[in-house]
Amino acid sequence: MLEIKVGQGSCGISAGAAKVYDALQAALDADVKLSVTGCIGMCFLEPIVDIYDDGKLTRLVRVQPKDAQAIAQYLQTGDEASVASLKISAEDSAFLDKQTRIALRNCGLIDPENLDDAVAHQGYAALRKAVTEMTPEEVIEEIKISGLAGRGGAGFPTWFKWNAARQSTGSPKYLICNADEGDPGAFMDRAVIEGDPHALIEGMLIGAYAIGAAEAIVYVRAEYPLAIKRLEKAIADASAAGYIGEHIFGSDFSCGFRIKAGAGAFVCGEETALIESLEGQRGMPRLKPPFPAQSGYWHKPSNINNVETFANVAWILNNGGEAFAAMGTEGSKGTKGTKVFALTGKIKRGGLVEIPMGKTLRDVVFDIGGGMRGERNFKGVQLGGPSGGCVPLAGIDTIIDYKALSATGAIMGSGGMVIMDEDTCMVQMAKFFLDFTAKESCGKCVACRIGTKRLLEILTRICDGEGREGDIELLEELCSRIKENALCGLGQTAPNPVLTTIRYFRDEYEAHIRDKRCPAGECTALVRYSIDADKCRGCSLCSRKCPVNAISGEIGKPFSIDSDACIRCGQCAAVCKFGAVRKG
Amino acid sequence: MILLNGKEVAFVPGQTLLELAQANGIDIPTLCHDARIEPYGACGLCVCEVRMGQGPAKLMRACATKVADGMTVETHSERVMRSRKFVLEMLLSDHTGDCIAPCSLACPGGTDCQKYAALIARGEYHKAAETMKDVIPIPASIGRICPHPCEKKCRRALVEEPVSLAALKAFGADMDLLENTFVPDCKPATGKRVAVIGGGPGGLTAAYHLRRMGHEVHIFDKMPKLGGMLRYGIPEYRLPKAVLDKEIALMENIGVQMHPNTMLGRDVTLDGLRADFDALVVATGAWVSSKMHVAGEDLAGVFGGIDFLRETALGNPPAIGKTVAVCGGGNTAMDACRTAVRLGAETVYVIYRRTRDEMPAEQAEIEEAIEEGVQFRFLTNPDEICGDGKVESIRLQCMQLGAPDASGRRRPEPIEGKFETLAVDSVIMAIGQKTDFAGLETLEATTRGTVAADTATFRTNLDGVFAVGDVTNKGADIAISAIGEARKAADVIDAYLHGAQIAYEKPFVCEKEVTAADLAGREKAPRAKMPVLPADERKQTFTEMALGFDEETARKEASRCLECGCLDYAQCRLIRYAREYEADPAPYAGEKAARQKDDSHAVILRDGNKCILCGLCVRACDQLEKLDAIGLIGRGFTTEVGAEFRLPLASSICNGCGKCVEVCPTGALYRKTEGQKNVAVDKA
Repeated sequence: MLEIKVGQGSCGISAGAAKVYDALQAALDADVKLSVTGCIGMCFLEPIVDIYDDGKLTRLVRVQPKDAQAIAQYLQTGDEASVASLKISAEDSAFLDKQTRIALRNCGLIDPENLDDAVAHQGYAALRKAVTEMTPEEVIEEIKISGLAGRGGAGFPTWFKWNAARQSTGSPKYLICNADEGDPGAFMDRAVIEGDPHALIEGMLIGAYAIGAAEAIVYVRAEYPLAIKRLEKAIADASAAGYIGEHIFGSDFSCGFRIKAGAGAFVCGEETALIESLEGQRGMPRLKPPFPAQSGYWHKPSNINNVETFANVAWILNNGGEAFAAMGTEGSKGTKGTKVFALTGKIKRGGLVEIPMGKTLRDVVFDIGGGMRGERNFKGVQLGGPSGGCVPLAGIDTIIDYKALSATGAIMGSGGMVIMDEDTCMVQMAKFFLDFTAKESCGKCVACRIGTKRLLEILTRICDGEGREGDIELLEELCSRIKENALCGLGQTAPNPVLTTIRYFRDEYEAHIRDKRCPAGECTALVRYSIDADKCRGCSLCSRKCPVNAISGEIGKPFSIDSDACIRCGQCAAVCKFGAVRKG
Repeated sequence: MILLNGKEVAFVPGQTLLELAQANGIDIPTLCHDARIEPYGACGLCVCEVRMGQGPAKLMRACATKVADGMTVETHSERVMRSRKFVLEMLLSDHTGDCIAPCSLACPGGTDCQKYAALIARGEYHKAAETMKDVIPIPASIGRICPHPCEKKCRRALVEEPVSLAALKAFGADMDLLENTFVPDCKPATGKRVAVIGGGPGGLTAAYHLRRMGHEVHIFDKMPKLGGMLRYGIPEYRLPKAVLDKEIALMENIGVQMHPNTMLGRDVTLDGLRADFDALVVATGAWVSSKMHVAGEDLAGVFGGIDFLRETALGNPPAIGKTVAVCGGGNTAMDACRTAVRLGAETVYVIYRRTRDEMPAEQAEIEEAIEEGVQFRFLTNPDEICGDGKVESIRLQCMQLGAPDASGRRRPEPIEGKFETLAVDSVIMAIGQKTDFAGLETLEATTRGTVAADTATFRTNLDGVFAVGDVTNKGADIAISAIGEARKAADVIDAYLHGAQIAYEKPFVCEKEVTAADLAGREKAPRAKMPVLPADERKQTFTEMALGFDEETARKEASRCLECGCLDYAQCRLIRYAREYEADPAPYAGEKAARQKDDSHAVILRDGNKCILCGLCVRACDQLEKLDAIGLIGRGFTTEVGAEFRLPLASSICNGCGKCVEVCPTGALYRKTEGQKNVAVDKA
């Protein structure tokens, strides 16, 4: 049987997948089964069309609507020549082949809006097993054996939280999923919800059964409309099928399920702020203790896990905790299972990467990601978004493990991985993240509200060439104090990008402050353009392009730039055909 | 049991660390906590180092941390102090306001001008006098003669003209003198004795404050009556001595013992007083007229400016004849020329080597002298006083202005060969005053011939001997400077008498920049003019020239005050902690969140600029009053507190209960009295 699947995550749709789908629908014979699937995970190749011929996959990439006829022809004739230019290369295929997909097991494979498709891929089998064959304690035990830890970033053992909520007196209890994925450059959770919403629902229902919750709630950011739409349909379908509601699988377990769309505050990803928001209050963190397991949503025992954590749960029950624990780093304190990373930045192959814990950053960046884009050198990778830190080339062989990554000053985080090359100014990078956290600070505690603002101001003046002697030490002092005094995780981790860039790239800070020089050439205020007289042919093109008439000269003779008048827009360097404009 | 600062203490289950510390007499600072309201944890000032068992020590918020068995707590460790200091520095770096109004900061005595003006506006004259007398024991006198540096910094000048603070001071103090005059309480006797040498403004002030502190105080003065230069240097028409007498009488009422006609070096000696008293305050002033060193200065009919004024005050006015030349451009010269007019001189010249613009005298004084017929000879300088045994004429060198000198004023230069001669009967040299060092020989002197005193502690080279006012360092200055020094010296001397060695330190305050543009919306209200006797009339008499404000004028004038200074300064916890923890926000100086002032409500005044976002007002409104009229708006650095939709508080459901004001740790909230001028709160 012939089946065509068009990857339609948000990323695919942005690349034009919906139009490709429409074009295919118009071009294909009615008997060809055309369907939608979630994000296949290779953002750099979108839109992607997968052709399954009795299970045999032909993957076409960077497909345009105009290619629909060629694809139709190929399906009719079987002549590969018509689609040869669209077929994925062996090298690119390796991107997926080298991964181990558990949380993303069905993403890009099933139709996320089709419950039957999910059920055909083991959907709700684990839930059935849990509620009909296992006690809640046995479920928690299995999760304990698996070693599953919170994938939102903190890496707290999932079984421990579930057990604490289970043990907690107070009724009713709530199970909450944190789908307020807000780190810049992170889209793992979105992919799961858009690609396999039933995996999330099933994981949550198992968690609800384990802790004894009467209601499960997904707190998902409103900026994910497609995720919300697919999740809503999945909830409706699962309710209709009896997987949600009263006496699930005929057991005594009953559980409601709903979505709460968050209103665009990064801090609501912090669990206590999320609870405040869920209650209709302003999203601001609460003091801990008490922890949500004792007093959470409406001050009732509540358990909060992130999307990816829940997405692993059904797999663990289906395959056994030991199978999960077999992956990852050694020892009882090791990090088990797999982790999904969203690979972005100056990388050749960006997308979703799920690999077993214990692999190295080099495996992700160079082996799977294919190394740097455009012949540039690797400079560093930012892990964990604004709460994380950067790891330089010297740390590229660090293994993916909570402890090992923390030792670098970075964190595992929720999985954002932004790759930087030598053109990235590390002070600018720190400034970018501080700009983000300063804006996203809820304003409650002094250390974060004013501290991040002051950090941003100092970083800004350094980038503007107005850094002062002693600014690095001032930044370090501010960072230490903020980390110690901030109320919640957002503030406590906000200094990490500054601390790690100072730790690994102190010389770059010093160059900005002392020499008024930006080694990466990214800080506009510190860049100087000049013309190499040996290379300049005196064509006057740069002079004519210059928007402020800062370049002058005589035709046929070397031109020169008036540095005082220059606004450093870089147009001269861009238009020069002889590479005569120097930037430095 | 838990270990609290190394001591085993018991606790009640459910008790927070903050409560436990309080129960054990340990003060943990907090800006966002109130016992009636649920812990919130915003300020982070109450952090303590907490260790459970052998675990790592963590900084925990004391307001929200429940005490548990086995805890080890440090409430004031180095790490804790550093974290608290940081929080305060962050808050101060975003704090916009004036702790103290610019007028008060400009006053050498630090008089709370804003407060006495507000109290006068409200008709509370006794309280106004009480406020003045926190610094100045003789406000009715000072209000009349002070060149008022306060008014020079008054921000009302950015709208139209400064508030008439000096005249208001005289008005308020006069009203208080009429009946039920304020008399301060004195602390119980300490048994310590202090001798004050010199009963001028500095000596009187030192005596007054030291007496209030419970010490036995004696003033020794060489003149027949106390008051110093106020009595013997300021003419009657500016300061009626009856007013001064009343104010000095009040000092006697509180037990200051006066010893007039007692001269240092003649009747008493420094060593003798040192033996009899626990501390000495030297405040002998500058009573020697400076010489000009021109030929003929020794002729009969040449007088020193302050000598002339003193003798007139003593009732023995020197014979000055019909035509008088007064040399000099300062306030003493003005006092001398106008006194000469009142003594019957027909022609009075003022000889000044620069022009009117450079004159150090008050503009009003110059104006009034002109009205009284005084003739100014600008750009002339005495060259020789001529006469046979007595003054007959004065030869003047004509001058022109050259390049500016160190003081910024253009330097007068002689025009070669150009002279002018005036026929005069007498010459008064009012060009400056110096210290008489007689009796002070054992004290270290400055190169100017004044007593060397430490500018922070007022100490001299002799133990227990302090010195203030004109006799010290840079020499003669205005009365309020001597008063200010004496006020500060009293604290140092009090500490000294109690065996402590403290230096006076200028306290840290927040200040803000204000421009005319910031006040553009203010309605203009012209400054009240002081009514005075007509020039023709006043020329004939030494009766006080100023007629004083009537009540209506004074209250209206006082209402012009812009209330620059913080209304909650006395009770502000932010400034208290900032000083306690020696917070210095300077390294973190940056943008300040521009929040608004909301004066729409009848009884609640909100100044967002002073808000530290502790959230107490919001929570008090919600949890104590169950109203929820205000909430937090926005995010990050520019978060603010306000009513819904950012509407003015008056348009909200606020019922004016004032619970928010009660809990506010800073001056961001103030409870107004409808229809009345706002007056700063008193110390708690």
